[in-house]
Amino acid sequence: MPEIDPQSFLPLKTQWFHIMFSLAGGEQHGYGIMQEVLERTSGKVRLWPATLYGSFKRLIEAELIEESDERPAPELDDARRRYYRLTAFGRRVLDAECDRLQELVSAIRVKQAMNATS
Amino acid sequence: MNFALRIYRRLAEAFPHEFKLVYGTDIMQLGEDVVEEIARQHGVAGLIRLVADIAMRVPAEYLSEMRRDLRYAVRALIKSPGFALVGIISLGLGMGVTTSVFSKLWTQIFRDLPGAAHAKDLAMTQGPVSYYYIEQYRTQKSLFAGVAAVQSGVPFNVAFQGNGSAKPERVFGQLVSPDYFSVLGVEPQRGRVLSAGLDKPGDAPVVVITDRFWRNRLNSAPDALGQTLRLNGQLATIVGITAKNFNGILTPAELFVPLTVPAALAPELANDVLHKRDAKEFIPMMRLAPGVTLESAEAGLDAITRHIEEQDPSNPKRNDKSRRATLLAAGTVVPIPRAMKPVVLGFVGLLIGLILTIACMNLANMLLARGAARRKELAIRLAIGASRFRLIRQMLTEGILLAVLSGMAGFALAYWLAVLSSQLKQPSAVPTDFDSSVDWHAAVFTFALAIVCGIGFSLAPALQATRADVAPTLKEGAVVQLRGYRRFGMRNLLVVGQVAGSLMLLLITGFLVMGFSKSNNIQTRFDAHTMYLLSIDPVRDGYSSEKAQAFFEKLPERLKAVGGVRSIALSSQPPFSVMTGTVQLTAAQDPRETSESVKSVATETVGAGYFATLNEPMLAGREFEERDERTSGEGSKGLPLPVLLNESAARGLFGNGNAIGKRVTEDRKAYEVVGVVHDLTNGALADDTASVMYQPLTRRDFASPPAGGVTIMVRSDVGTDALGAVQREIASIDPNLAVFNMRTLADHMELSRAIMRLSVDTYGGIGVFGLVLAAIGLAGVTAYAVARRRKEIGIRMALGASKAQVLRLVLREGATLVAVGTVLGFLGAMAMVKILSALTSIFVDAFNVATNDPRLLVGAPLLLAALAMLACYIPARKSAKIDPIQALREE
Repeated sequence: MPEIDPQSFLPLKTQWFHIMFSLAGGEQHGYGIMQEVLERTSGKVRLWPATLYGSFKRLIEAELIEESDERPAPELDDARRRYYRLTAFGRRVLDAECDRLQELVSAIRVKQAMNATS
Repeated sequence: MNFALRIYRRLAEAFPHEFKLVYGTDIMQLGEDVVEEIARQHGVAGLIRLVADIAMRVPAEYLSEMRRDLRYAVRALIKSPGFALVGIISLGLGMGVTTSVFSKLWTQIFRDLPGAAHAKDLAMTQGPVSYYYIEQYRTQKSLFAGVAAVQSGVPFNVAFQGNGSAKPERVFGQLVSPDYFSVLGVEPQRGRVLSAGLDKPGDAPVVVITDRFWRNRLNSAPDALGQTLRLNGQLATIVGITAKNFNGILTPAELFVPLTVPAALAPELANDVLHKRDAKEFIPMMRLAPGVTLESAEAGLDAITRHIEEQDPSNPKRNDKSRRATLLAAGTVVPIPRAMKPVVLGFVGLLIGLILTIACMNLANMLLARGAARRKELAIRLAIGASRFRLIRQMLTEGILLAVLSGMAGFALAYWLAVLSSQLKQPSAVPTDFDSSVDWHAAVFTFALAIVCGIGFSLAPALQATRADVAPTLKEGAVVQLRGYRRFGMRNLLVVGQVAGSLMLLLITGFLVMGFSKSNNIQTRFDAHTMYLLSIDPVRDGYSSEKAQAFFEKLPERLKAVGGVRSIALSSQPPFSVMTGTVQLTAAQDPRETSESVKSVATETVGAGYFATLNEPMLAGREFEERDERTSGEGSKGLPLPVLLNESAARGLFGNGNAIGKRVTEDRKAYEVVGVVHDLTNGALADDTASVMYQPLTRRDFASPPAGGVTIMVRSDVGTDALGAVQREIASIDPNLAVFNMRTLADHMELSRAIMRLSVDTYGGIGVFGLVLAAIGLAGVTAYAVARRRKEIGIRMALGASKAQVLRLVLREGATLVAVGTVLGFLGAMAMVKILSALTSIFVDAFNVATNDPRLLVGAPLLLAALAMLACYIPARKSAKIDPIQALREE
C-alpha cells in the first residue's frame, strides 16, 4: 500500500485528536476514551457515543488506529468492550500534529514577547 | 431518562447493517453506561444532546455507505470499460430519444403558456366564431372573467421607418381585441399592452411587439417605444413590448395589432367582418370566472350559443339539436381536446416504454452474465459477513450510476436534437417555430428515468446473483453450479423478449420509414430546378382590393412576355404543399338514383394555366382560364363556380361515369365540374389516392390573399435567369411590392422533405438501435452460456464430440430463442400496427403503404434473425476452442 503523507491529515479534527491522544498511552476502549477526554479537558469536551464510534470507524479506515486483540490485566479487563490502539502510522500522524501545535504555540509566544517589549 | 434511552436504542438499531455489525453493541452499551451520568450532569439538555448526536450519525453513516458503494461502482465500471461503454451508449440513446419526446410534449401540451398568468383558467372554443358571438359571450360575467377575440397567423408586411429604403419584411402577428392581454394576464416589460380602456376604434393605429421582435428586428433599440412602423403600408406606433417569454397564443406571433385599426392596415377586417354574424373569423379566448370549471363553462356556453342561433332566422342550423360549443383548455402552447390527451400520452408512452424496455432488458441481460462471472466475488463477500441487502444495494448503485451516466449522454443527445430541429425551417405558410428547447423539467425527467431504469435493469440480476449458495460456489471455483436447462429461466425470457421487442420496433419504424419515403416521392414531368416560386401580397403593401385585383389580372400577361419564361400560373399555395382541412362534397342527385354519393376531399385554390405550367395534361375537360379568375368567387347568382376534380375524387363521386358538367354541392355552395386531372402526390403523409377538388383563384383571393400570399409559379427555359427577370419586371410595375419566399420548386420540395427526412432518420435510427441492442444482448447471453457449460463441453469433447457438434449444441439454444422471439415480435408488431391505426389517423397512411411491402415483412425478420445468429456464432466459436484437458483440470 502506498505511503500516505502524515501531513495530509493535518490539522486533525478535534474528536480525532482527542481519541488519538488518549490512545497514545496504550490501548483503551470507547468508554475509557470518553472518560479520559472528559477529565483531561475538565468536562469541556464530551465525545458523544455515536460520534465516537463514527470516528473510530473512520480512523480505522484511515489506518490511524486499529482494534487491539491484546487485553489489559484480567482484573482491569472489561470483556464486553472492544479495545483500540494507535497504529505506527497513527503515531506518526499524532506526532506531526503535536509538532504543528508546538510550532503554533511558540509562534504565538514570540509574537506576545514582541508585543510586550514594544 | 428511560424515554431518551428508548429512542437511543431505536436509533442505534437503525444504523446500516455493516456498521451495526461492528459497532452496534458497543454503541448500545456505551449509551446505557453514560445515560445516567449525563442526566445527572447536564439534565434534559444533555439527554437531548445524546439523542441528537445519534440521530445525526445514522444518516451520516448511510451517506458514507453510499459514497463507498459509489466509489466501488465507479471502480467496477472503470474495470470493465467495454461493458460501461456499450451500456452508456445503448441506454443513452434510449433516454435521449425519450427525453426529446418528453420535452416536446411538455413544452407544447402540458406546460402552462409561458408569460400568461394562471393559464389553467384559460379556455377557447374548438372552432372560430363571429365577433358577434364573442360580444355575447362577454356579457356572461358569471361564467367568464373576460373573453378576447383572436385571429392568429396574420401576416403583416412590416417596413421600418429607420431604414426606409429596405423592402418590407413579412412578419406574422395576431389581430386581437384590446382586452387580449388582460384576459391572458400578460404584462408588458416596457410601455403598455393593449387595453379595452385605451384602445378605441378610430384612434391612431398602435401595435404591441414581442421581445423577440424587439431583439431580432429592432436590435433591442432602447428608443423603440413611440417609434412608428409601416404595417401593410399604414403607420402604427409601437406602444409596448410584451414580457420576455410571451410569443402569443395558438401560433407564434411577433406583434399584436388591435381589432380597432382600419381595414386598410389589416385586410382581414375588410367587408365589415366585425359586424357580420356569419363571418366566423375569430377564436374566443376566455378566462373562466373564479370557481367555474371547464365543464360548467362549456355547458353554459352551449346554452348561450344555442340561444343566439335560435334568434337568428337566417341560420340554417337554427333547430339543430347537436352540441353548439366545445371548450378546450387553452393554457398551453398547443391546446388539444381533453379527450386527445390520453391518446397522445398512450402512443408516446408505448413507444417510450418499448424503447426503454428493450434497452433495460439488454442491460439486465448483460448484468446477468456479469453477475454470473462475479458470483465468486459475491460469494466471498457473503461468506465474510456482507449482508445480501448490502450486495444488492451495491449492485443497484452500479446500475443507477450507469443509468445516470447514460442519462447525461441522453440529455446531451436530446439537447442536440432540439437544436437540430429548431434549425429546420418548416415549409408551412405560417411559422410554427415554438420554443421546444429542453429545460430543467426535461432534466428532472431524465434523471428520474435514469433512477427508475437503473433499478429496473439491475434489480433482477442482483437478486439472482446474490441468491447463490455460498458453499458450493466457493467449492466449485469460478464455475457456477449447473442449474440445467431451464426452459422459462429469466435469462431466456429476457432474450426472447428482447428479440421480440427489437423486431417490433424494427417493423414499426420500418413501416413508418417506408411509408414516409414512398409518399415523399414526388415526381414531376419536368425539371423541378427550372420552376421558380415567388410570393407577393399587394394588399399588405397598401393596395386597395380593387387595385390588387387589377394588378393580378394584368400580371400574368406582363410576366409571360419576360424572356426565358415558358409559362406562368398563380396559385394560393405552392404546388405539392401539405393540404389542410377537407370538405364534404355531395354529387348532385341523379334523378334515377335515390342514394347520393358523398366524398370528403381536400381543396386547393389554383389559377389559370396551373396544370399547363406543371406540365400535367388534363384527363378530361378543361383547366381554369383567365375568365374564371374574373369571377367574384361566391359562386352565386345561379352560376355555379367551376371546379376541377382529381381522378380519385371524380371516381369517388361519379364512379366510372363522366364527371364533366356534373354539379357537386358543399353545404350551401354549388360547383360545376369542368375538368379532371391526374392524382398528384403532394409529398405529405396523405396517401397517394387522396381526393382533391381544385377551386379557381378568384378576385376574392386577390383582395384577401392567404397567409402565404399569392404564389407565382414561373417555369423557365434551362439556363436563363428567369427569376431575376421576373423580379425586375415586378419591380418595374411597382418597386415597393414585397416579393418573398423566392425559391425553385426543387428547393421547396426539399424543404418539405426535410421534416420527413428527420422523422425517417429518427425512426430509422431507433429501429437500427433496437437491432444492435438485440445483437449485443444475444452475444452476451451466448458468451455466458458457453462459459457456464465449459466443463460440460470439456467432457463432451473428451468423450469424442467433434468441434462442429459442440458448435451446433451451443447454437441450437440461441436459435430456439431467436425463433421464438421472431415469431412473437412479428405478431406483436402486427397487433401494434392495428392498435395504432385504430388509435390515431396520423400513421394510417404510412402503415397502409408499407404493411403490404414484402421487403419489410420478410426482410426485417430475416435481417434480425441473421444478425442474431451471427451474434450467437461469434461467442459460440469459443466453445469449439475449449481444451477438454484444461476445462476438466479446473475442477
